[in-house]
Amino acid sequence: MDESEDVPKDFIKLKSEKLSVDEVSELVISPYCGAVSLFIGTTRNNFEGKKVIHLEYEAYTSMAETEIKKICRDVRQKWPSVKHIAVHHRLGVVPITEASVIIAVSSPHRTESLEAVMYCINTLKASVPIWKKTSQELGEGLS
Amino acid sequence: PPPRCFWQSAELAGLRCETLSVPRQITALQLWEEKVRLHPRLAVIRDQVVFAVRQEYVLLGDQVLVLQPGDEVAIIPPISGG
Repeated sequence: MDESEDVPKDFIKLKSEKLSVDEVSELVISPYCGAVSLFIGTTRNNFEGKKVIHLEYEAYTSMAETEIKKICRDVRQKWPSVKHIAVHHRLGVVPITEASVIIAVSSPHRTESLEAVMYCINTLKASVPIWKKTSQELGEGLS
Repeated sequence: PPPRCFWQSAELAGLRCETLSVPRQITALQLWEEKVRLHPRLAVIRDQVVFAVRQEYVLLGDQVLVLQPGDEVAIIPPISGG
């Protein structure tokens, strides 16, 4: 079986349109992989005890893409069997319950893709220059 | 021409981007001090920011940066993506 037909790829996108779980998971599907692991980050309706109306994300775009590429490179060093990696992050306004980030990783067996997805989101939150601004109701607790 | 300076989420300083004239060889700490000289209100967030030069993180310390004209320097507040 010639696995060189399915060269490992990284799919990185920052966009203001609604994210699609179908689209992101389809990017990483491979006939050589039995596992696709996904993480979806969605906006919550509360933050620090206050009700959130929506979140707004902004990025230092050029550096954000560079840092996400580094994360993909690190994933491939730690889990060499990982095939494809997709990271889509939404910018601008993200309404409550919609996805702000979707990460998908494929690998032949499940352990690597599960671990790699966790590594991706944890490292993204620690190192990628993206910020969220919350639109909150002031002076109001949760009902 | 002096290196460009890029400022992200600069609600505290009330500005987004400005051009700074600095020596070509300067430490990140000296660059920060120049910025605070121009915008004293920034001093309060010193412990919360990191620098990025040419889109690479740089510690706010004594390491000498060698800047080229047009180099982008970003002051990065605590990140909250994901």
